Amino acid sequence: MKGRVLVLWFVVSIPLLWGVFKTLQNAIKLFQ
Amino acid sequence: MTAGFFARESTIAEPGFNRFQVPTAALSVHLAIGQVYAFSTFNIPLTKILGIDHSAPGDWKATQVVWIFSIAIAFLGASAAFFGPWVERAGPRKSMFTAALCFGGGFLVSALGVKLHQLWLIYLGYGVLGGCGLGIGYISPVSTLIKWFPDRPGMATGMAIMGFGGGALIAAPLSVILMAHFKSATSNGVLETFVTMGVIYFMFMMIGVFTVRVPAPGWKPEGWVAPTAARKLVTTANVTVNVAWRTPQFWLLWTVLCMNVTAGIGVLAVASPMIQEIFAGRVTPVTAASFVGLLSLFNMFGRFFWASTSDYLGRRNTYMIFFLLGIALYAAVPSIGAVPLFVACFCIILSMYGGGFATIPAYLRDVFGTFQVGAIHGLLLTAWSVAGVLGPQLVSYIRDHQINSGVAKAQAYSVTMYIMCGLLLVGFLCNFAMKAVDPKYHRKETAGSAS
Repeated sequence: MKGRVLVLWFVVSIPLLWGVFKTLQNAIKLFQ
Repeated sequence: MTAGFFARESTIAEPGFNRFQVPTAALSVHLAIGQVYAFSTFNIPLTKILGIDHSAPGDWKATQVVWIFSIAIAFLGASAAFFGPWVERAGPRKSMFTAALCFGGGFLVSALGVKLHQLWLIYLGYGVLGGCGLGIGYISPVSTLIKWFPDRPGMATGMAIMGFGGGALIAAPLSVILMAHFKSATSNGVLETFVTMGVIYFMFMMIGVFTVRVPAPGWKPEGWVAPTAARKLVTTANVTVNVAWRTPQFWLLWTVLCMNVTAGIGVLAVASPMIQEIFAGRVTPVTAASFVGLLSLFNMFGRFFWASTSDYLGRRNTYMIFFLLGIALYAAVPSIGAVPLFVACFCIILSMYGGGFATIPAYLRDVFGTFQVGAIHGLLLTAWSVAGVLGPQLVSYIRDHQINSGVAKAQAYSVTMYIMCGLLLVGFLCNFAMKAVDPKYHRKETAGSAS
């Protein structure tokens, strides 16, 4: 059950982390 | 797959079920429907459907296209209010599936609208159908999460509603990448992007449909003891949705949410031109776009941070912080001359905007109980629809009025900031006036009536 929960968290976190990364990548320009 | 699969009874968790699976189901829905915040990435491409690289005669005008988003947000609020009681009866699986069908289907109908070049089909597809998917999807997991996490309701709903803020962070770059990928000599890629996103989002929301569970009647977290006596603003009783909206507490909270959202959404709508005009020559359109991205990030993290914090501080105190800190920051903004400090102020303001959305379900649960909290939440979201129109219009109108009166562009936002302080003061007073619901409104509990 714990493994299944970890997999599900992984699946939903990947697109979110990608979105956060892309946003931060752009946000850096603000302070350059 | 039989009809039984979607029945509430089929989603009752087996003993030993790990409750931390449920927030992933909620996140899969909210990360998808949060795409609506990034719909503006389609605004310019939608005005170049015939011309591909430029707006040709017969192409839609920008003023016609912006209505798609407005219709979607209006239907979000209306469907959340209208379908709230049905969502409570049907359970999270059936309502999440309906939301997935509406939201994914909305994209497909809109793709047909692009193909036939019929704007009304996009209004109907993304605006009406997609908007209903947004409203139903938004409230679907809320009461389920509150029932799974009676010890940490703020944290649980904060996780889900954080997904709604995060959805825009995913959708904005995804839309741009897909449109660039599908662009050809005969298409600017919008049609193909709508079809792809409709399919992707439907499938992603289905993760939630398959994994969501409701707790068995009488379930409670291991070692957790339900408080026997009601605290000042935390009830142990329940109020039904039909009674809740007749109480002053409902309208006080409606105003609290409306004022908090109006102040935040007004800034979000004009963030890019605002920073460019206030710091003319120092901030370019590219860095202004970065500012907007940063605001979205704080909007997202604020949802989780503030909602989780409210479990310790109490909901009323958390909103007190939103309003008092918000007033202080808005009042300080006109005198700030440094870009980083200006950005920092608005990042904190937008974190509290997101926090307001994420903390309200737990506040409703405290005041009205868990019985129909999802439906009451749906009804309260009409405040969002009102604020969605009021905030941007207010900021734009005051800015234009100031400029027309001869005020320099850099100073045109100062009055707006002070008006935001006024709105937050109204919210503060309503929050200050919150008291426990009169027991005469409480639902008479009968054996086996627990939801």
